[in-house]
Amino acid sequence: MATVADEQRPAARSSDGRPPRRAVLTMLGSYLALIALTILFVAPLVYMASTAFKTNQEATRIEPTWVPKEPSTEAFDAILSRSEQTPVFRWFFNSMIAAIGQALIVVATASLAAYALARMEFRGKRVMTAVIISTLFVPPIIFLMPTYVILDKLQWLDSLLAVTIPGAAGALGVFLLRQFFIALPRELEEAAVLDGASPFKIFWRIILPLSKPALATLFLLAFLTNWNDFLLPLFVLFSPESLTLPPGLGLLQGSYTTSYEIIMAGAVVATVPALVLFIIAQRFVIEGVSATGIKG
Amino acid sequence: MPPLARASRVRTPRRAPVGGGALAYLFLAPYLILFTFFVVFPAVYGVWVSFHSWDLLLPNKPWVGLDNYRNLLDTSTPAGGDFWQAMKATGIFSVFSVPLLVVLPLAVALILNQKFRGRNFFRAVYFAPYVLGVAVIGVLWTLLLDPNIGVVNFYLEKVGAPQNIAWTTSLPWAWVALVGVTVWWTLGYNAVIYLAGLQDIPGELYEAAKVDGASRWGRFRHVTIPGLRPVLVFVVTITILASANMFGQAWLITGGAPGNETRTAIMLIAQEGLQNFRLGSAAAMSFVLAVFLMVVSLATFFAFRERKG
Amino acid sequence: MTDEHPFERRSLSRRRFVMSAAGAGASLWLAGCGGSSTEEATGGGGDETTAGDGGKTYTGPKVDLAFWNGFTGGDGPFMREMVSQFNSENKNINVKMVVQQWADYYQKVPTAVASGRGPDVGVMHVDTLATNAARNVILPLDDVAESLQLEEGDFAQTIWDAGIYKDQRYGIPLDMHPLGFYYNTAHLEKAGVSEVPMTREAHDEALEKLKGAGFEQPFWQSSTWPAHLMFMSLLWQFGGDLYNEDASQATWNSEAGVEALTWQRNLVEDGYSPPNVASDADYIAFKNEKNSFHWDGIWQTQDLAKTSLPWAVAPLPQIGDQKAAWAGSHNLVIMRQKSADENKLQAGKVFLNWISEHSIDWAKAGQVPARNSVRESAEFEALEHQSILAEQVDYVKFPPAVPGIGDAQAEMEAAVNRAVLGKQSPREALDQAASKSDKLLEDNKKKYGE
Repeated sequence: MATVADEQRPAARSSDGRPPRRAVLTMLGSYLALIALTILFVAPLVYMASTAFKTNQEATRIEPTWVPKEPSTEAFDAILSRSEQTPVFRWFFNSMIAAIGQALIVVATASLAAYALARMEFRGKRVMTAVIISTLFVPPIIFLMPTYVILDKLQWLDSLLAVTIPGAAGALGVFLLRQFFIALPRELEEAAVLDGASPFKIFWRIILPLSKPALATLFLLAFLTNWNDFLLPLFVLFSPESLTLPPGLGLLQGSYTTSYEIIMAGAVVATVPALVLFIIAQRFVIEGVSATGIKG
Repeated sequence: MPPLARASRVRTPRRAPVGGGALAYLFLAPYLILFTFFVVFPAVYGVWVSFHSWDLLLPNKPWVGLDNYRNLLDTSTPAGGDFWQAMKATGIFSVFSVPLLVVLPLAVALILNQKFRGRNFFRAVYFAPYVLGVAVIGVLWTLLLDPNIGVVNFYLEKVGAPQNIAWTTSLPWAWVALVGVTVWWTLGYNAVIYLAGLQDIPGELYEAAKVDGASRWGRFRHVTIPGLRPVLVFVVTITILASANMFGQAWLITGGAPGNETRTAIMLIAQEGLQNFRLGSAAAMSFVLAVFLMVVSLATFFAFRERKG
Repeated sequence: MTDEHPFERRSLSRRRFVMSAAGAGASLWLAGCGGSSTEEATGGGGDETTAGDGGKTYTGPKVDLAFWNGFTGGDGPFMREMVSQFNSENKNINVKMVVQQWADYYQKVPTAVASGRGPDVGVMHVDTLATNAARNVILPLDDVAESLQLEEGDFAQTIWDAGIYKDQRYGIPLDMHPLGFYYNTAHLEKAGVSEVPMTREAHDEALEKLKGAGFEQPFWQSSTWPAHLMFMSLLWQFGGDLYNEDASQATWNSEAGVEALTWQRNLVEDGYSPPNVASDADYIAFKNEKNSFHWDGIWQTQDLAKTSLPWAVAPLPQIGDQKAAWAGSHNLVIMRQKSADENKLQAGKVFLNWISEHSIDWAKAGQVPARNSVRESAEFEALEHQSILAEQVDYVKFPPAVPGIGDAQAEMEAAVNRAVLGKQSPREALDQAASKSDKLLEDNKKKYGE
């Protein structure tokens, strides 16, 4: 929005037409600050990637190096060869399945439920809406112990089900999509009703296509949340081959404490997909986050 | 649209539902099944568990009534002592991280809010750490903060800091480390939200203020802050909640060390229930913590609300 | 392990590594000098796999065994080497080894076992056997002990007894890893201390002389690991004990305990140690010659041997009225399975047998074998440091075999930490820990149905 940027637009130009010094300094200062910050944010990631390609000797030197003096893929080899101890690629695979699975479940169930809450009338609608939305304010920690017991009884412990299903029950997706659906103009739906279309058809043919950006954003947010989930997988998964990447990294750090190059190699494997996804879908993710802020 | 259709639209009640009744329940069913099993039922079951001494592996799960809760009120019991120490640790962490995470991202967002090229690039860079998840962040910073070979100490020593600061095993450095890493990790997230909020403030308000002769600071106080109020409330609330729920950083970087000084509430609950196999006690702790958090959230909400009008 | 506080993970890793390495080594010893059982186990006879065979041979179909332990770091490779040797010698058994931090191990193994996805065999510290037995995580191994022809007389009494819970044996002792008294020989020479101090007077005198010779802080007292191990040793030396007869009460706040902990705190107060020594700092200081005395586990011998430091190790000096020293002990265990697979069970027992019988190399990793005959052999005597510390075997002690004892131990550990840091007086700290422990011990008795 150009209007807001106006706030910071340099004040009226001085007589010789050049922007006033103060404004230029501000700009310069801002740029410097931003660049300094950028270095602060990027440097650690560069160091992580660089260390993943070092030998153990170089990785544990007192004087850190930013570019490996003796580049080597021994860290990645170690991860690949110790497949019963640290099956990093298996973890990657598990994380993918769980994250995609959960995101799909979230989008599917939340969109259906949100549509019903937004556009349909039924008994108990108010109560149900209130209950669902209120769970957004309940601290998630109270669910940890009972979920663990439930998963044990279902015999889902140590399986991908344990990290895919429970998280999909969160109310954020329903909340966001409901807001979104409510804001949609009703004309198309009403016309379709007049034409005799069933609600499901309306949902499928009209609403969903219209909601693509919102659904995509929700999918991405759900994917990321599951991909990075640490607490639950840490305790419900135990065999090395069942782990997802976050607890897997914990195991890596635990069993290779001083072999930093191996730990960093694992971290790189966990980072690359998330970063790639982020770079591609940056706008969606950031706008999704912003939207939760505005609406919240 | 043909006039007839328009006419009929006018006659139809504005809020005509698309459908209803049984069909609505069908739409809701898939979500409701998940919701019931993994939200409603656990919430209730958790209370049930908290009234027992519950070890998954032992056949005996004796009923203890309110004992688990009573223990929490008595700091001389192991559970009580540990719990309040963990709450204190959580409190210390929150007191230091929340202000930083409320103010610094705002400053960054204000800078980013200017019109210049590359803004989106910077925004993405600052946000990126959040995308990586706490596990990556945890192991990465454990390396960077290593007292002997870590990059942080290497550069600090060059500017004259004491040697080999034990970031992960001594106080107060462990707190500095945890707060620092958390700020690094989530600054971008909050900044993005602030930025969206700033962009929603109509430019006319600034123009009007300028015309009235308001200084830069004045404009900030009287246009920006009020305009940002709902976003501020949101950011403060989620930051407080996130700080109170801090787990991954403590687990991976300090492990609660030294001793149990940096063991946060969530970490204690996880340990108590899933490592020491006292699920009943852990469940009770989680409910007490939850009550605390809800009180704090409500307080924040009302505190900001008061000033309105 | 109860004396490893579950979350002191990073800095303790090195110790755990070597500890576990040590454990595996000793088991090798046991096997190597086990006499006739060696031949029978690997010989061609006895092809039948009867239930009572107890692990001599396995001729069933090919099986995979999951072997979990906490041997992270330096000792891990030793054990892996043994595992791969076993695999090559036993074509129809494929053992896969997985290591993780002990703290994670003790959390994951029980739940994994309970949900039927646990490992087949593993290693556990002797003071965790009771807890895991009570929780149905591990199986009784009396028949395995029998087939190995292990008898009470073959082992040091305390090590042999420690693996028994409710009259059944749950662990085959692999090794013993005691604390040792490490000292800098060059420093002692410079300070004019001609003999390694073995009594309280000699020790105090040595500290004074060291200080006089310019070694400002000759003996650092850590506030975390291994402070509580030192405390236990001293407590026993002063004639006290951790718990009463039936382990219903903690007794470390006796006069003996207070005297022990005061001695530790005095190291700081008298200026022999800096305050606030965190984990590993004391050991790193020793390696950098910043201090002269250091008490630590036998496992450090491995690490120190790689340096050019002028060091040596001796049994703990007798500060108290009698000799005593803390030691840990690794035991081999078999996990309970939801649905018993006879073949895997049999293969597991064969594996335990084999490890137990091939312990020679493991001792070289820095362990004291639990087996008497091995300890008394010439080959072991040739291992300088191990044999020196093996002298302590007659007076090492373990916490009692009571389920959940780790909870109480953790309180003691925290008390030692507070007292060393000066946050509380030794008496206060020990009293506080004792009263908290008593409640825990009581709860545990109810919980475990004792």
